[in-house]
Amino acid sequence: MAAFYLALWGLAGLLGASAIAALVWAIRRGEFDQLREASQSIFDDEEPVGKVTDRFPDKRF
Amino acid sequence: MADTPETVPLPAPEERERLTRIQIDRSCRQTVVWYYASAVFWLLVGSALALIASLKMHTPGFLADWEWLTFGRARPAHLAAMIYGWGSMAGVGTLLWLQARLTRNRLPFPTLLPATAVIWNLTVAFGVVAILAGYSTSIEWIEIPPSTAILFGFCIAAIIAASIRMFRSRESKHTYVSQWYLFGAIFWFPLLYVSAQLFLHTPAAKGAVKAAANWWFAHNVLGLWFTPIGLATVYYLIPKVIGRPVHSYHLSLLGFWSLAIFYNWAGTHHLIGGPLPAWLITVGIVGSVMMFVPVVTVAVNHHLTMVGHFHHLKYSPTLRFIVYGAMCYTAVSFQGSLQSLRSVNEISHFTHYTIAHAHLGVYAFFTMVMFGAIYYVAPRLLNAEWHSAAWIRVHFWTTAVGMAIYWLGLTWAGWEQGKMMNDPRIPFLDIVRFTVPWLWSRSAAGVLMTIGHLSFAWLFWNMLRQRGAYLPGPTLLIRKDEPVAVGGGE
Repeated sequence: MAAFYLALWGLAGLLGASAIAALVWAIRRGEFDQLREASQSIFDDEEPVGKVTDRFPDKRF
Repeated sequence: MADTPETVPLPAPEERERLTRIQIDRSCRQTVVWYYASAVFWLLVGSALALIASLKMHTPGFLADWEWLTFGRARPAHLAAMIYGWGSMAGVGTLLWLQARLTRNRLPFPTLLPATAVIWNLTVAFGVVAILAGYSTSIEWIEIPPSTAILFGFCIAAIIAASIRMFRSRESKHTYVSQWYLFGAIFWFPLLYVSAQLFLHTPAAKGAVKAAANWWFAHNVLGLWFTPIGLATVYYLIPKVIGRPVHSYHLSLLGFWSLAIFYNWAGTHHLIGGPLPAWLITVGIVGSVMMFVPVVTVAVNHHLTMVGHFHHLKYSPTLRFIVYGAMCYTAVSFQGSLQSLRSVNEISHFTHYTIAHAHLGVYAFFTMVMFGAIYYVAPRLLNAEWHSAAWIRVHFWTTAVGMAIYWLGLTWAGWEQGKMMNDPRIPFLDIVRFTVPWLWSRSAAGVLMTIGHLSFAWLFWNMLRQRGAYLPGPTLLIRKDEPVAVGGGE
């Protein structure tokens, strides 16, 4: 029974460890160096910041 | 914005961006439409089963002489149809489309991925029928017989392969916060699912330990599968719809990593008072309370992103559903952290309060966000406008109001029920009688929500037939003076 609880928490620990490993990987790759650019990466020239991309034409819905 | 100017301006950058986006969306068409259409189908099946289960709670004679629809079968069948059918299929569709958009890549495996949608459907269908026929495993959230695990596993393996492939050949220099959440979902869920199958269906797990494994899994399906997909969608669609970057990108990352580290410890708070070592449950409570960190960061961030843009709620179907969902995420998470405290839990446990809480999470948060996502994605895949604003309005108000009635009624009734159950002087039957009017209010709410689902299904059916105005480009913005082809010509 104790072994079972340990296995369960071992798995939970594995999940947490995978998150920390990903965090270390991301920091090493410099993913967090350009946060401003990253936050704007979903926009482009055709759908730039300031452009509303969803609404019902001419209707208050 | 920070793009370097090109020396050869042919075709114009905007046109190129537009064409790229059209190609990305087109590449998702078959797969994502399959997943979405199946999700809508399961939403209707799940609603029917939900109504049956709900009516039986106050009118036990209803359909009582058909064993396939006894409460003990209808209720888990409802759960399986909603979780594995509606929620997961809508989630996978959105996840694949988001990743294609975020990596600026086409969706790979154009034959394999639609095939996984077919397999997924057959698996859920088999599971729901098996539960109704009496072959449920009777382990909550994983009632579908374990023989289906290999099929789900195959589908998820294909989805992981597609995700990795898109990410490795990504065109975007930056990894947006939604991508982190989606990776969380896609890599944690299989681990959870496989270990739950092993822990629950091998002779190793017996008695109380089985409960520990059960709730570790069940809580994590919500926290590490639905929640990341929902939040990834919110983090992409709120900025995209209103045209404004996330208020604080720092906070959004803090929110993700704190969720990644804390959430998976929270599950054992479901077993407070149960025959398990106290430390095991205390770990769960600590994990639950730590969830305040990611929740507050997400709530503050979404609110500050929206500030000054709330008027868009009047015009954008997507935004309306997404913002409702995001607000309910904050509410359900606060409630969840508080509910994990022993002093609160001794009242709320084993009452209707918990049911209201669960629906605030899976419905008011996740389902509403998925509705919002489908309103955004489907027109871009099928090149057609939604055919009726009125039906969307019906969909929004019936589900939003229905959910509010559902939550208020059962939360109040559950709390009172819990206090009464803790008082040994009150006969049990009096408590049951006290809850009956509130159970009726739940059925009324369920009817409202089902009306909403039917109008959504009607809208989606017409979307599939491209009955709405033809969209030449990938956006929803049709100018008034633009000629618009209407009609359902093939």
